[in-house]
Amino acid sequence: MLSSIRDLEAQPGTAPRQDGWDAVQTAVQRYVRGRSGRHDIADDIAQETVARLVELGRTQQIGSVFALAFRIADNLLTDMHRRERRLSDEVDDEWQSEEPSMDRVLDSRRAVDVFNRCLRRMPPLRREVLIRRRLNQESCRSIGEDLAISAKAVEKHITRGMIDLRKALEQAGVDLVGQD
Amino acid sequence: MGSEFHDIDWQAARWIDRMSRPVQDAEMAAEFDRWILKDPRHVEAYARLSAIWQSERLHRALRDNGETIAASREPVASNDDDYRPGRAWRRAFTGRWAGLGVAALALVLGVVMAPRLLVEEAAFATPRGATRVVALSDGSTIRMNGATRIAVRITPWSRHVALEAGEAFFDVAHERLRGFSVDTGGASVSVLGTAFDVDRLDDDTHVVQVYRGLVSVDAGAGRQWRLPAGSGLEVSGERVRSLRGVTGQRPGWTKGWYEANDTPVLQLVQRLNRTSARPVALSDPALGELLVTGRFQTDRPADVLDAIAAIHDLSWREEGGAYVLSR
Repeated sequence: MLSSIRDLEAQPGTAPRQDGWDAVQTAVQRYVRGRSGRHDIADDIAQETVARLVELGRTQQIGSVFALAFRIADNLLTDMHRRERRLSDEVDDEWQSEEPSMDRVLDSRRAVDVFNRCLRRMPPLRREVLIRRRLNQESCRSIGEDLAISAKAVEKHITRGMIDLRKALEQAGVDLVGQD
Repeated sequence: MGSEFHDIDWQAARWIDRMSRPVQDAEMAAEFDRWILKDPRHVEAYARLSAIWQSERLHRALRDNGETIAASREPVASNDDDYRPGRAWRRAFTGRWAGLGVAALALVLGVVMAPRLLVEEAAFATPRGATRVVALSDGSTIRMNGATRIAVRITPWSRHVALEAGEAFFDVAHERLRGFSVDTGGASVSVLGTAFDVDRLDDDTHVVQVYRGLVSVDAGAGRQWRLPAGSGLEVSGERVRSLRGVTGQRPGWTKGWYEANDTPVLQLVQRLNRTSARPVALSDPALGELLVTGRFQTDRPADVLDAIAAIHDLSWREEGGAYVLSR
């Protein structure tokens, strides 16, 4: 009889079935661990993310389940960090999670130096593309128009630039936590 | 192993760029989902690169480097006016994507967000003759009438909807700290947990009706009102008319009818134009000023036209795919 109850809950055709949600939850856990390095909160965030997705899926069509899930998780992570920071400001400086946090790693002086050095060494065109895309949030098309290159080329520069940054961090020994 | 990881990072980087665009078409969305499901290492690579790409420190580093460049830079692209390989390609691209963008907006994507971390942005549109219910992540719902366009922006500290055209009924989830506001271009409505209808009849005329709670309306130039449940307001340029007798749980149009109370025919026609599959036109603008009272079933435009014609001794006909009302 349980299966028939589940069928009533499910939205055929629109939302993934239960096993589909399990896959989403697992992926979000992995995402949170890789994104934040926080193993302690990954389960909670994944659960809350799926709950919100199920709710949204009841009433509207979702383009990419995972893209939406990761964004919800991003928002929850940010909320949580803000709350923790407030708490630790109020209580005392000693009170902090023992878990290594990706944000803390990327927040270090060393990471900033690595970013700066990497950007300075990059071909100027690539740096310009990264600044326009990440900082000014221009579309690939408008960047391409301004710099007289194709949008495909813009995309390549962005991809390449991200890899450059990732490699630079790795080579400098800045530990990207969350690698299982 | 090393080079395989390398490949995955490249793919992840490409996806991060694609998924941070404001609109993705359905095919790309499905492809992304498949890629994520295929291999657990995909999520991990995507997550790590996201952390780098979204980090506040990268933002600052880019800003600092951007400033040094701007200070030392020669004018860019001054000598390549006659050779721009991007141009022809760009023209083709613009046409194709403009169409796709509209299609994606109309049918595919519920929630579209800006690449900024905290901001959730979405745009929704309904064609003439169709309604749609949109559920927001905060628990509020928006019921859109036909021919309506809205843009939603939700941040951790604010909830904002721009009603760009048409009419919508808002059922707002109460939050103590975060307000909810609707901007119609002329008037702006701010609320705590309430239910209310906003009708942008045209650029000039905006109607607000409150079904639950308390709403504050700001029409600019220091003109502000507080409307309790059961009341409403019609702002038309400089003219303001207060409305009474707003009853029921939600507006009549959500059930397919409209209650006119000394309402100009033009307003009734504007409302019909949201629900009718065919446009309704007046042969003479003066007809729009005639007043009508009664309960009209707006999802049956022919019946409504029959009724108006009977009240004012007019006639109507079908002409070139439209209904035309005339003397």
